[in-house]
Amino acid sequence: MSLIEIRDLHKQFKGNVVLDGIDLAIEQGNVIGIIGPSGTGKSTLLRCLNQLEIPEKGFLKLQDKEIDLSSRKNKKEILELRQNTGMVFQQFNLFERKTALENVEEGLLVVQKKSKEEAREIALEELRRVGMTAWANHYPRHLSGGQQQRVAIARALAMRPKLLLFDEPTSALDPEMVGEVLDVIRQIAAEGYTMLLVSHEMAFVRNVSNRVIFIDKGVIVEDGTPGQVFHYPQNDRTKEFLAKMHMLEMEPEYSI
Amino acid sequence: MTKLFDFKQVFTNIPELMEYLPITLELALLAMLIGLVLGLLLAIIKIKEIPVLKQLAAFFVSIIRGTPVLVQLYIVYFGVPMFCKYLNQRFGTSLAVASIPGFAYAVLALGLNSSAFSAEMIRSALMSVGKGQLEAANALGMTYGQALRRIIIPEAMTVALPTIGNSLISSIKGTSLAFTCAVVELTAQGKIIGGRNYRYFEVYCSLAIIYWLVTIVIEQILKIVERKLAIPEQVENFAEQQDEAQMGDGI
Repeated sequence: MSLIEIRDLHKQFKGNVVLDGIDLAIEQGNVIGIIGPSGTGKSTLLRCLNQLEIPEKGFLKLQDKEIDLSSRKNKKEILELRQNTGMVFQQFNLFERKTALENVEEGLLVVQKKSKEEAREIALEELRRVGMTAWANHYPRHLSGGQQQRVAIARALAMRPKLLLFDEPTSALDPEMVGEVLDVIRQIAAEGYTMLLVSHEMAFVRNVSNRVIFIDKGVIVEDGTPGQVFHYPQNDRTKEFLAKMHMLEMEPEYSI
Repeated sequence: MTKLFDFKQVFTNIPELMEYLPITLELALLAMLIGLVLGLLLAIIKIKEIPVLKQLAAFFVSIIRGTPVLVQLYIVYFGVPMFCKYLNQRFGTSLAVASIPGFAYAVLALGLNSSAFSAEMIRSALMSVGKGQLEAANALGMTYGQALRRIIIPEAMTVALPTIGNSLISSIKGTSLAFTCAVVELTAQGKIIGGRNYRYFEVYCSLAIIYWLVTIVIEQILKIVERKLAIPEQVENFAEQQDEAQMGDGI
C-alpha cells in the first residue's frame, strides 16, 4: 500500500490553471524528483500537499485516512497532515528572532509538546546531522544562505515527518553554497526518508532520486526511474525540456 | 508688593505634586495595556478580514479617531452610568453604578482611545513580519494562534517598540484630562494647588517639568529595552563537550 495517495488535484489562481488533475501514489522510501518548466505547478503541488495552498479539488490518503484537501473546515486533519510532512522552502524561512537551535526546537516544543531537555537533545542531534552544531547559538542573520538552508532542513527533520517536501531548496543560494545543501539532501535520501524534491538541478535530481516525474501544464506527463525519464523520455514535451536542459549542462560552470 | 513670578514656588510645588505621579502612571499604563490588547484584537480582525467584525472594527476606529479625547471621557463618564441605570430599570438588575470609581471610567475611556490608534500601528508591525515565517510555522503544524504568540508577535514587538513608546508618552499626557472623571492625578492636583494660592502659572510650570522628566525617563527605558531585544551582532560558537564538538565538525 502506498504511503500517501494524491487523487485528482486541481488548483488555479484567478482562472490561471496551475494543477490540472494530479494523481500520484508515493511509496515508502520514494525519493521523487519533480522536474518541469517554470510555472507548471511543481511548487504549488508541494504547497497543496501541506495545505499552504488550498486547491479547488483534491483528495489525499494518508494511513487509510482520506482528507479532502479542498475543504477549509477540517482544521484538525490539516494540522495532522502538516505534522506528518516536513517542508523545506526556497527562501529558508527560518524564524528570524530565534537561534539555529531554537529554530529546530520550536516545533518539538510547541507542536509535539516535548520537554525542554528532550527537544534540545533532538535539535542538537539534527543540527549535527546537517553539520551545523557549532552554529547552534547563531541567529539566521549571522548565517550564510547555505547554512540557513541546512538549519531549515534540520528543523524539518526534527519533527520526524513521514514525508519531506523540498521546494527548490537551492534556487535562492549562491552557486558556491549549492553543493553543501545538496550534500545534506543526498545524505538524507540515503537514510531512507521518503521525499518529494522540486529542483532545477537536473544532474542532482538524476543522481539522488529513485523516481522522477515530469510535470507540464499542470499534469504529470512522465513518471519513471531517473534512467527512463532522462534517457528514454516518452513524451515530446519531456524530450524538448530535457534537450534545453542538456544544452545548459554542456556549459562547465553548471556542473555540480 | 508681591512678586510677579515666584520662581521658588515652582520647585516647592513639586514634592506635593509628586504624590500624585503614581496615579498618573497607573492610569497611563492601564490605558496603554487595554489599548494594546484591544488594538491587537482589532489588528487581527483586520488582517484576517473576519466578516462583520471587520466592519464593526472600522466603525469603532473611525468614531474614536474622529472625536476628541475630552469628549470621549465625558461620554464614558456619563454614558456608562446611564446605560447601567437603563439595564437596572429594564431587567431589574442591581448594578451598583455609584460604587464605580471615576478611575475606572478614565482607564476605560483612555484605553479605548489608545486602542484605536494602536490598531493600525500593531497591524503594520504584524504585517512587517515576513509571510515565510508564518508559512514555516504552519508547515510545522502550528496553529495561527501559536504562530502569532511564538513567532509573529515577538518579532513584530521589536518593529513596533518605537511607536509603542510614542503612544505610551501620549497616553501619559492624555491622563491630564482624567479630572473630567473626577480622578485626581498630577494635573488635577496642580489645579487644586493653583486654586488654593492663585499661583496657577507657577504650578503649571511645575507640571511641565514633571511631565517632561517622566517622558525623558521613559525614553531612556525604551532605549534599554530596544537594546535588550536586538539580535546580538556577534555570538560565540556553540561548544558541547569536547568529543561531541568534534563530531559536529563538517558534514
